[in-house]
Amino acid sequence: MSVTSSAVFLLNVETGETESAELWDAITEQQLADWEAEWIPELLGAIRRLHRAGVPRHAWPQSRHWDWRKKTATLTGMLAHPAFSLVCRGLTQGMMILDNTTKRCRLPAQAGKNMVYVEYVENAPWNRPELFDPPRYRGVGSLLVRAAIESSRQEGFKGRIGLHSLPQANTFYARTCGMTDIGVDPDPGYSPMHYFEMTQEQADAFVEKGGKS
Amino acid sequence: MATKRTMTLNLTDAEMRALENLCEKKDLNKTALLRQALRLYQFVEARIEKGEKLFFEDDRTKEKAEVMML
Repeated sequence: MSVTSSAVFLLNVETGETESAELWDAITEQQLADWEAEWIPELLGAIRRLHRAGVPRHAWPQSRHWDWRKKTATLTGMLAHPAFSLVCRGLTQGMMILDNTTKRCRLPAQAGKNMVYVEYVENAPWNRPELFDPPRYRGVGSLLVRAAIESSRQEGFKGRIGLHSLPQANTFYARTCGMTDIGVDPDPGYSPMHYFEMTQEQADAFVEKGGKS
Repeated sequence: MATKRTMTLNLTDAEMRALENLCEKKDLNKTALLRQALRLYQFVEARIEKGEKLFFEDDRTKEKAEVMML
């Protein structure tokens, strides 16, 4: 597999310094090994802490059911499903799979137009403030949203993107990314997730401010 | 960004008109539209190869018609 990487930066929360990272246009065996050997144990440890603290099950991270190896195996080689990963200090910090073919916009101003749909996106457990205080790195989610916007632009979709948000991420997509919250998707298969969409103007504004909150 | 290669495409007048009409309707340039068509074709073929079927459903009557891919 041929992988192209771009130089990006993440904020190390502990030191307050930025660190060099790489955005890859693929999810490789390295990412899947990181997910199995590093992410899953950390995620299970975080869930154990939530459980012992009496946090109800519905508030646990819902991505705990995601199997990145299975998702990647199904979609590898499909032009409709480009994948991305973010690597810092040799460790995978985030992964994302897009759908650039089968979804259309729902916002009235751009209804029916092509867009890039964020099929799956996940931050490494240690970067998630709801699981680790303080998180290790900040900026992973913003960089992956920025990559989705760039993918949309390259497809000729002018930055239009859409996604269903897990409840823990609603505030991030609304406030940090400036996306429009269309509300809970009426499709029971997506409940209780909110559907968010970004217009060309919102994408331009997000890129302009550098993806920062 | 992945490296891109250029190709020449020969189309009939009717095919070119269809392409241009779709480009206008979808607000895409010709390259973007043809890349979309390739993605969709590959996606549909992969699902059909797995034994799935492609249907169109009338939103009003819920009547389904299978699209036969040869």
